[in-house]
Amino acid sequence: MRAYAEIAVTTNYSFLRGASRPQEFAVAATRHGLAAIGIADRNTLAGVVRLYDGLQEVKRQTEIKPPRLLVGSRLVFVDGTPDILAYPTDRAAYSRLCRLLSGGKLRAPKGECILTLDDLLKWQEGLLLVVMPPHPGRIATEIGFPQKCWNDSLAREADGPGEIPRERFKSYLPASPDEILSVLKPLAAIAPRRVWLGVFMPYRGDDRRRLQKLGAVAHAAGVPLLATNDVLYHAPERRELQDVITCIREHVTLDEAGRLLEVNAERYLKSPSEMASLFRDIPEAIDETVRFANRITFSLDQLKYNYPDEPVPKGKSAQQHLEDLTWEGAASRYPGGLPDKVRETLEKELRLIGKMQIAPYFLTVYDIVSFAKSKDILCQGRGSAANSAVCYVLGITGVNPAEIDLLFERFVSEERREPPDIDVDFEHERREEVIQYIYERYGHHRAALTATVICYRPRSAIREVGKAFGLTEDVTAALASGVWGSWGNRLKDGEIRQGSFDPSNPLIARTAAVANELIGFPRHLSQHVGGFVLTNDRLDEIVPIGPATMADRHFIEWDKDDIAALEMMKVDVLALGMLTCVRKAFALIDNHKGERYDLANVPREDAAVYGMLCKADAIGVFQVESRAQMNMLPRLKPQKFYDLVIEVAIVRPGPIQGDMVHPYLRRRNRQEEVTFPSPSPEHGPADELEKVLGETMGVPLFQEQAMKLAIVAAKFSSEEANGLRRAMATFRNLGTIDRFREKLIGGMVARGYEREFAERCFKQIEGFGSYGFPESHAASFAHLVYISAWIKKYHPAAFACALLNSQPMGFYAPAEIVRDACDHSVEVRHVDVNHSDWDNTLERCEDGSLALRLGFRQVGGFSEAWAGRLVAARGNGYSDMDDLMRRACLPKRALIILAEADSLQSAGIDRREALWAVRRIADVDGLPLFAARSVEEQPPEEIAPLPPMPLSEHVLTDYQILRLSLRAHLMQFLRNLFRAEGVWTCDDVAKATDGEPAPCAGIVLVRQMPGDAGVIFITLSDETGIANVVVWPRLFEKFRREVMGARLLLVEGKVQRSSEGVIHLVAERIFDRSDELDRLSDDDVPSPSFRSQAANHVHSHPRNVRVVPQSRDFH
Amino acid sequence: MPLANARAMLPALEVVAADEPADRKLLERIADWCERFTPLVALDPPHALLLDITGVAHLFGGEAAMLDQVRSSLARQGFAVRGAIAGTTAAARALARYKDGAIAPSGEEAVFIAPLPAEALNLDPITTHALRRAGLKTVGQVAPRDRAELTARFGAGMVFTLDNALGRVEQPISPRIPPPDYSVEHQFAEPIVTQDAALAVLKALAPRLAAMLEEYGDGARRLEAGFFRVDGVMRRIVIEMGKPTREPAVIERLFREKLDALADPLDPGFGYDLIRLSASRVERADPETIGFDSNANAEREISCLIDRMAARFGSRRILTFQPNDTHIPEATAVAVPAQYVKPTKAKWETIRDRGEAPRRPLRLFAQPEPVDVIAEIPEGPPLRFRWRRVLHTVVFAEGPERISMEWWRHQGPQPTRDYFRVEDGEGKRFWLYRSGIYGRETAAARWFMHGIFA
Repeated sequence: MRAYAEIAVTTNYSFLRGASRPQEFAVAATRHGLAAIGIADRNTLAGVVRLYDGLQEVKRQTEIKPPRLLVGSRLVFVDGTPDILAYPTDRAAYSRLCRLLSGGKLRAPKGECILTLDDLLKWQEGLLLVVMPPHPGRIATEIGFPQKCWNDSLAREADGPGEIPRERFKSYLPASPDEILSVLKPLAAIAPRRVWLGVFMPYRGDDRRRLQKLGAVAHAAGVPLLATNDVLYHAPERRELQDVITCIREHVTLDEAGRLLEVNAERYLKSPSEMASLFRDIPEAIDETVRFANRITFSLDQLKYNYPDEPVPKGKSAQQHLEDLTWEGAASRYPGGLPDKVRETLEKELRLIGKMQIAPYFLTVYDIVSFAKSKDILCQGRGSAANSAVCYVLGITGVNPAEIDLLFERFVSEERREPPDIDVDFEHERREEVIQYIYERYGHHRAALTATVICYRPRSAIREVGKAFGLTEDVTAALASGVWGSWGNRLKDGEIRQGSFDPSNPLIARTAAVANELIGFPRHLSQHVGGFVLTNDRLDEIVPIGPATMADRHFIEWDKDDIAALEMMKVDVLALGMLTCVRKAFALIDNHKGERYDLANVPREDAAVYGMLCKADAIGVFQVESRAQMNMLPRLKPQKFYDLVIEVAIVRPGPIQGDMVHPYLRRRNRQEEVTFPSPSPEHGPADELEKVLGETMGVPLFQEQAMKLAIVAAKFSSEEANGLRRAMATFRNLGTIDRFREKLIGGMVARGYEREFAERCFKQIEGFGSYGFPESHAASFAHLVYISAWIKKYHPAAFACALLNSQPMGFYAPAEIVRDACDHSVEVRHVDVNHSDWDNTLERCEDGSLALRLGFRQVGGFSEAWAGRLVAARGNGYSDMDDLMRRACLPKRALIILAEADSLQSAGIDRREALWAVRRIADVDGLPLFAARSVEEQPPEEIAPLPPMPLSEHVLTDYQILRLSLRAHLMQFLRNLFRAEGVWTCDDVAKATDGEPAPCAGIVLVRQMPGDAGVIFITLSDETGIANVVVWPRLFEKFRREVMGARLLLVEGKVQRSSEGVIHLVAERIFDRSDELDRLSDDDVPSPSFRSQAANHVHSHPRNVRVVPQSRDFH
Repeated sequence: MPLANARAMLPALEVVAADEPADRKLLERIADWCERFTPLVALDPPHALLLDITGVAHLFGGEAAMLDQVRSSLARQGFAVRGAIAGTTAAARALARYKDGAIAPSGEEAVFIAPLPAEALNLDPITTHALRRAGLKTVGQVAPRDRAELTARFGAGMVFTLDNALGRVEQPISPRIPPPDYSVEHQFAEPIVTQDAALAVLKALAPRLAAMLEEYGDGARRLEAGFFRVDGVMRRIVIEMGKPTREPAVIERLFREKLDALADPLDPGFGYDLIRLSASRVERADPETIGFDSNANAEREISCLIDRMAARFGSRRILTFQPNDTHIPEATAVAVPAQYVKPTKAKWETIRDRGEAPRRPLRLFAQPEPVDVIAEIPEGPPLRFRWRRVLHTVVFAEGPERISMEWWRHQGPQPTRDYFRVEDGEGKRFWLYRSGIYGRETAAARWFMHGIFA
């Protein structure tokens, strides 16, 4: 059989053009036994690493030698030149191709690439060029780019790519043989022996005649013919998806698409024998493909280990430098002398780092962290390598290796040959400074953000596919609305039914089937939030870069997995709101109490802190404040740091899907004996799992444990275990999972483990696939859990103040944070023009304790600039509204908001009077400063007194303006009404006995449906506390309208009290009583005003929930 | 409430987009209907009407009876109605919305609206909000406030509306203007009894209608001639045009063709006393300049011919071909009524390149005919085939042209077609296809003849 290499493969990284994943091509190409496979996506190299990785994965999993990978790109021009495939022969040529593509991207709007033949000629050296004649019957498409490019400045730089005059843009037209010749000839002259004419057999009837004509053209130009199939998908079955994505791309329905679609299903990856029979007239074109492939010596391996050497002083090796810093750091971390255990660990780690040559990586992270510290920016590392002793002594993390036993090798494995992974979290408000530093340090040409591949998710897939099938927006929206979480891999029948459609309806079924195939396809590239790639060479010679949304920011075409696969250096500079909060809290404590703390010197293992957490008193505490975590806390009863690590990790899909949570809890509470599953004696020692699962009482909870389990219990090689992990994460659709499943469960059962245990282990690994949560992450997070809990315990006022000042973050709305502070005996004071700043502040009370003064940031619609003016002109205080207006020079709008917020209490002015007065003031906005000052004071007016504002209306207005009220809880005003109906308070529910029927009403704070189970959790709040309601799926179907729409719910159900004292109200009947809220604003007048803007927080984050709709326009 | 939220509450929610123009039209129609009560009807969009009933109420048995009649007869038509009578517009408006059925005697408006919420004043939302916040929640609470106090805060307009509602100042309503009406008619003192006479009347009416159309720059796509017989029977004749037209000669000719072609001719009976010509569907028709070098004139003549033939034979029977954007050969052309042809984006595919034989026959068989074929497996061209009992030996063949079916239109897999152009020993050329790809789709492909080349 003739060897054949497919040169023209378009993957789904040519967005909405290719209909197969690179991984699928890898498998298909291997199965066909191709000599080589060349990936040539449209003006991009975004998919090459996926294919590279895919081929390696195939090799790892099947032990068949996969075809060689040829890295190239299909250049699509705007000046009417037919497409040209460009394949670099060597590393230097590859760099040129990257520069060429970067240039095209930098002059185009985000996501586009503008290239002309001149660009190619400039960078053609060393590139193999295949001219692809247009497909016969192809319809010319308009080239349209929005006039505005986002990076004009960059595109005009001296050595930049320069702009392409619009008049040079030409439509792409089916080219005649003469036109092709006119492209080929000059190209062949400039790039001798490096130009081919690509030919393919599209089954158009006249294929052989066409081939002859092109043969004549090639002969005339003196270039050889190269056989291809101009591949769009890996197998003919993908035609349906291919047609649908064409429709999505062209914004047409299948019925309208007509000849925009391919005429047949022939553009799939064909086997050498199929290709040989198609090209039987000119077999030399087939042979040419192999000669072509052999000319290419470039491989992506040549890009590996391109680490910047910046942080290393001259004359030292990176390893030496790291060792020096490590011992220096160790000395300062352990002023009382280095414990032997830590010394040994450090030595061991340094040896491993040296062996893997990853010292520069640690140095780079150290460098960034040092910068942050010098600027007093709080930061903390996490990720696989972060919990090493080296990272601790370098100050990258705060988890002391002397206190917790985290094995470095567990995270950095030699066999894995993957670079270590360290993510660093910074305060979210100051991360930008760190980013600026990185750019300054490494230069824009060597540092850039990595990409995030934005993929089709169930919701977007069903919507777009539905559109292509001609379903109306209503139907697709309804179908999509059945999808609760936006993540996931499949659209389930149940979700289709939730959208009240019959999944067996042929059209719906077909739409769902195609949508399911589309899920996971990349739609476009976006910049990663903080993943930086750093290189030693010019970055745009390693990978094409393009403009990001922010000026002067770039991002590369590869995502973090690609970077990892190529072992390039990546540092994640992430933003973490809790760090901002902790820093602010530390600053407040320092200012008001003179105690200085940082992440490392907070007193450890304080029993009172754990005591507080055991009672689920955790509002605002990092990670453990969610409803599910708060349920877990009293069950788990954390007593030491490692318990927090478990607490963080256990409420995750992995352990939950693997049904590991309850066994762990039972063992922990000594309701069940701690046993270790063991193999039959002939297969190994009975305690083989003790080492793996000892820390967690025989129950696997962490990702690493699950992997280790595969190795120890099912005798996976570490390669295979790694493959298993990857199969879960990226190869879901390739059918390799079943093989692993077989191997894992089969392997464990064969060695004498119980099948049921083996199956649970596998399920858990599946759960880790999408949300892997390793122990190292959990440990870093647990550290912040402890610190935030400590602050909450000992400095509740500072904690609440810092939390409010760091919004938006966390889980709860300001009202809950304030209420929680009050519950911890913190005095909270109202916003006031004579006392408040923009931020919330602390004030000292007479008894010496600290009170929380609300700031103007809590006032809806008020701006920071206004607050600044108000504070600057405050002097000895404002005496009345006129005074405020004249001295602070605020616009009328601002004054109205201040009056609405009732912030003139200290001046003795009532909210209602203030509002009535301010309406009379002329607006100074738009007037020059002096004119505004001279606005004449209006003569005092004698007016009849206004009716006094009832307390209920005050509270309602507080909620509208501040989203919280210090006066009273809304439910208080409805209590008589509800009591008359026999409705309980939340406190009554908390005191009820198990099984007691209880009707309870409250404001809806949180409404959640975690996971796929369909259970809804609702948190109700009233003046006595909160109640946790559970709604089972069947009940939800019945009361959907009430559950989704109500702001005030009345729930009738039964109290369920667990042995740990966790109380739920299991709903049986649900009533929407939101109308009662509307009464509060009325004295006794029927008012239709609020009904028009009912609850609009169905899909929003709980902290953004507005219990009461915002009051309408102020002006 | 955003739609997404409503859907979250009620997934099966049926959604109909608000259609403001349609609402407005409906309101206008109700206004038309209301003209039976008074000529002074004003629109108060989006869903209110103001009727000035000064001096007409007694015709309907007094104000109460009149209000009752208006409300009940509108309710009978299926509308939800609220209504009230007061001396000023603002008061009537407030009462209708907040105190359905109220009748405030002149001078007592203030008493009637005092208990209504401040919203009843129909002020802008900012003012209403400010009043509520001030605790002035009813009209009665706002009414006694000092006028200077209110003017300083909300402007003179607010005070005027308030006083209007309280019956202190008046504001007349502005009745709507009737829309232009393209209708001309001729009444006869003596009924006319022949069809020729009727046609002559139409001929006379046509220029009058055309003049009206021209004045507004419109052309008619649909004309109706109404023949009203003395005995009350009315016969309506409708003609439709492919293009907006207002040429009297064309109009008259089209009616003549139509009347000639009627299976049941007009029966004048005792004669017509009224003939009305009206344009029931019009489109903008700007006068066009036609150059000498264009064939617009020819096209215009064709379209006139189509209109004439359609008037005689029925528009569904005068057909023309339109290109259809598809790969499926038999679907590339569709026959559509020539009068309704709309320009499409689809273009005719060239089936013949310069200097080459045509790729496809000009006409295809209505049904592809099964053929017995001997061909090379898997995808070779036919070598010999038997069609309509004659054996043909293939001398030349080209292909395959592989065409896949439009999968989304069918249930289950549809066999792909491989088309071949073949020539037999006698020089006859055929277009036939193999249905199904060997191995991938079928084990035994079938063959069909789809057309012959002329």
